[in-house]
Amino acid sequence: MKKLLTFSIAAAMLAAVPAIAAEKTLSVGYSDALSGGGAVYGVPQKKAIDLAIEEINSAGGIKVGADNYKIKTIEYDDKADSTEATNVARKLIDRDGVQFILGYCCSASGGAMASFIGKEDAIVLVGTAGARSITSLGNKNVFRTRPPGDYTGAAAGRFIAEQGVKTLGILSVRDVALFTQYRDALIKAFEEAGGKVVALETFGGHDRDMTAQLTKLRGLNPDALFISGYVEQVAFSHRQAAELGIKVKRFGFSGGSPEQFLKVATNEQMEGVWDLLAVEFNADILGPKAKAFVDNYKKKYGENPTPNTAYAYDQVYVLRDALQAAGTVTDLKKIQDTLRNLPVPKEALLKYLPIDGKMFDGKGQAYISNGAFQWTNGNWKFVAELPSDAVAYSNFLKTVRD
Amino acid sequence: MIIDFLQQIFNGLVVGSIYTLIALGLTTIFGILGIAHFAHGSVAMFGGYLAFFLISTLGLGLLPSFILAMLCGALLGVVLERVAYYPVRNAPPINSFIIALGLTLIIEKTNLLAFGVDQVIIPTPFNRVFSVGGVTMPELRIYVLLTAAVLVGGMTLLIQRTWIGKAVRAVAQNRPTAALMGINVNSVSMFVFALSSALGVAAGVLIGALFAVAPGVSEGLVVKGFAVLILGGLGSIPGAIVGGMVLGVTEAFAAAFISSGYKDVISFLLMIAVLLVRPEGLMRGKAR
Repeated sequence: MKKLLTFSIAAAMLAAVPAIAAEKTLSVGYSDALSGGGAVYGVPQKKAIDLAIEEINSAGGIKVGADNYKIKTIEYDDKADSTEATNVARKLIDRDGVQFILGYCCSASGGAMASFIGKEDAIVLVGTAGARSITSLGNKNVFRTRPPGDYTGAAAGRFIAEQGVKTLGILSVRDVALFTQYRDALIKAFEEAGGKVVALETFGGHDRDMTAQLTKLRGLNPDALFISGYVEQVAFSHRQAAELGIKVKRFGFSGGSPEQFLKVATNEQMEGVWDLLAVEFNADILGPKAKAFVDNYKKKYGENPTPNTAYAYDQVYVLRDALQAAGTVTDLKKIQDTLRNLPVPKEALLKYLPIDGKMFDGKGQAYISNGAFQWTNGNWKFVAELPSDAVAYSNFLKTVRD
Repeated sequence: MIIDFLQQIFNGLVVGSIYTLIALGLTTIFGILGIAHFAHGSVAMFGGYLAFFLISTLGLGLLPSFILAMLCGALLGVVLERVAYYPVRNAPPINSFIIALGLTLIIEKTNLLAFGVDQVIIPTPFNRVFSVGGVTMPELRIYVLLTAAVLVGGMTLLIQRTWIGKAVRAVAQNRPTAALMGINVNSVSMFVFALSSALGVAAGVLIGALFAVAPGVSEGLVVKGFAVLILGGLGSIPGAIVGGMVLGVTEAFAAAFISSGYKDVISFLLMIAVLLVRPEGLMRGKAR
């Protein structure tokens, strides 16, 4: 009888085990520019990811079947460099054995990863990197929140023409795919709308003296200038343009926060400058969820989030929803299919334009609207939406692979 | 058109004056010790970071910070010479070459650890812009040009008019003979490193004020410095001065009149042309 009792108790205990959710750890890889020129995007992006992970973990983690997963990151600095990014991806997959990778603020690193990741057993959720090839290559395991540069560039070109600009001088970074694709789409749309580009000047990755190019543009006397590149360089360009006495309208594309610009240029030098970009994170436009994010971010890091932070923040919730819906953390095929049909997570900060009700289109690309922001009294003020078309672009993206 | 032309000369001279400061240090070290001191750019960046630290954290003024950073630079130069190069002074040249590469990495990474990854801009109160006949001259750029001119002038006087300068020139001409004449060649080496590093730091501070100090900037700086050396003539002080200005103005003109996409290519084409036509450099053969 005693034996039977012991047996029954043991059996009851065994049966009870699965009912108590086991605490497990899910290691997620993270590759981003934590030093060098790309760090202005990479470091805030990492902070946003850490914040989202902290929120998910403290809310109990990711519930997959009977298990509860707490997220832990394994992170490396890819310096926004293609070679470094390739090494980091290899390290994460081969040595650390992760199956999910977050991060990628920049085109060079993200593009390098996308060129080979299709054959790997890993799912990559790209944040800010804007090079078109990251999704246009059609890898089944790559998903990106930031729309490609040319989607926004075309809308920006039409917008500049609508402002009554007939002749445009362009100063742009030479060799970063996001900016060159944006710029080429802008030129095409601007010229289709009847405008004329008087000169296309460029600068290199480490240049901070653009006076020679700006002096040349000043001599050509266009109706407006368009300046694009990473924040620091664009800020120097605006400062030097003002110093050279250039008075015409200045449009641009860089996506930097006011703090980042004010480190380089003064408020007077920036007054009236336009930034034409996807409507990234902006607490004034995006409502209470976004305001809460700003408060939490400020509390944790003592600074304002940069506009690009939301791309990566949202991806952490995409990962959570996909794993919970798929009910597995190991069956990558099933998780990929779930991602492809995933609705926008309720915690997502950005206003996505779903394609057929789904967050990502057939190539794993998400879309948001584009906006014109103007520097007014020390801050970027949202002025208008740019004329953009997500469905048309998604159809176009299906036809290209570069 | 003529205004743009003059504006480009001004743009080029400002950048060229910084190239000159970097190249002066490189050329004196090369002239005396035959060392290609690749770490010079990182020393310059260290100076920029240090000046920023002195101003923003310790609250010192711009000028005291500038001078203090140059003094620290001189001290760092002496340490580098004693610790890194002195022990291999009689070894084959490849040793000092490898040490130079190693030093570059060490100083660069130390900068990263000590000062972080963000770009740093040295705050200055100089925001006015002057316009002379249509040529705009920001106040800060004028001061950069003047500071560089004063430093270059001081360095030239020091080398040409003082006893220690004479010793430096003697060692540069013929090291064994200078030693036989009673010159302490070891102290001369230390002096040259101190002087060169102080100038390098000055360049770093000027870059930090005008542009920014950041990881990755030093590499470009050293490459430009060596380009100036080849333009002006290895080991030639007037060569470094003329070479720096020529490189700065050529870059501005290349961007303005040919293509900004090929700005660097054109300045290196100029270097190759000098090597082909006048391999001893533009100013070599004159006073060293």
